[in-house]
Amino acid sequence: MPSNRQRLILKTIAATLAVTGLAGAAIGGIVLRAGWYDITAISSHWQPVYTLLESGMHYSVRHYARDVVVPTLGEAQQLQRGAALYAANCAQCHGGPGFAQSPIGQSMQPVPGPLIDADKRWAPRELYWITRKGIKMSGMPAWEYHMSEADTWAVVAFMQKLPAMSSRDYAAATNTATNTATPVAAPMAEDAP
Amino acid sequence: MKRLCLSAPLLVALLAGCGQTEAPAGVQGDPERGRIALAQHACRACHMIPGVTGSEVYVGRSLDDLGERPYIAGKLPNTQANLVRWIRAPQSVDPHTAMPAMGVSDREALDMSAYLLTLKK
Repeated sequence: MPSNRQRLILKTIAATLAVTGLAGAAIGGIVLRAGWYDITAISSHWQPVYTLLESGMHYSVRHYARDVVVPTLGEAQQLQRGAALYAANCAQCHGGPGFAQSPIGQSMQPVPGPLIDADKRWAPRELYWITRKGIKMSGMPAWEYHMSEADTWAVVAFMQKLPAMSSRDYAAATNTATNTATPVAAPMAEDAP
Repeated sequence: MKRLCLSAPLLVALLAGCGQTEAPAGVQGDPERGRIALAQHACRACHMIPGVTGSEVYVGRSLDDLGERPYIAGKLPNTQANLVRWIRAPQSVDPHTAMPAMGVSDREALDMSAYLLTLKK
């Protein structure tokens, strides 16, 4: 049985926490309702907030992608298909060696990162997961319902080759591939289960 | 105060603009507009730039000391005119560079260079 003194201390702590919490919520509510938060894409996140959100994103992807089984990657035809898909769907926001993003990709907030170093940041199963599922509140769409599984792996396979590509290699890979591969707008191929 | 700002990247981000909106002597353009233009043309996607929020990235080199580097792209003397040229048309300086031309206007490139030239380690 706590003494009266201990009870008083506990009550004071609880009351202080409750009042502080309520005051915080009230201030937050006022800032929210008044519209003082600058939602524009001109004002960036505060760097510590950005870094926190980014590490949360990394941990989440690592967690959810842990059981993805990676098929064999890197066969010539797959790379060619991957290059065409990359040029048609990824480069507009992420760019490539010597290839600029479109104005949309340039001005997105957060800015879509380059994929030239993607193999250093992510394992292939994680790249697959991100492409497949997208990233909420970042502008990265989920491609699961728009790109077949085989095509997604082709893009992942191509991303493994990007770091070693010069701008000339990239232009050659995407041009030749674009001319020979089926455009992405074509109906999705049926996936083998 | 300036030393404090420059020695701690976090503080630079916190106090973005602290002592950094003044263009160095002889430099044209508006550094503060340049800082925003650098974000809006995705320079920060590949380059780390103090005062512009983004990820830790090493695709392009960090621009944190651009104001005191003697050369741009390893060949051009680091003058504002050369910096503007490099930003607007990197392939005209180095045909094999992986840095793309981002469609930056003359005015924006001038403002960007004004900001970048304030950056010293």
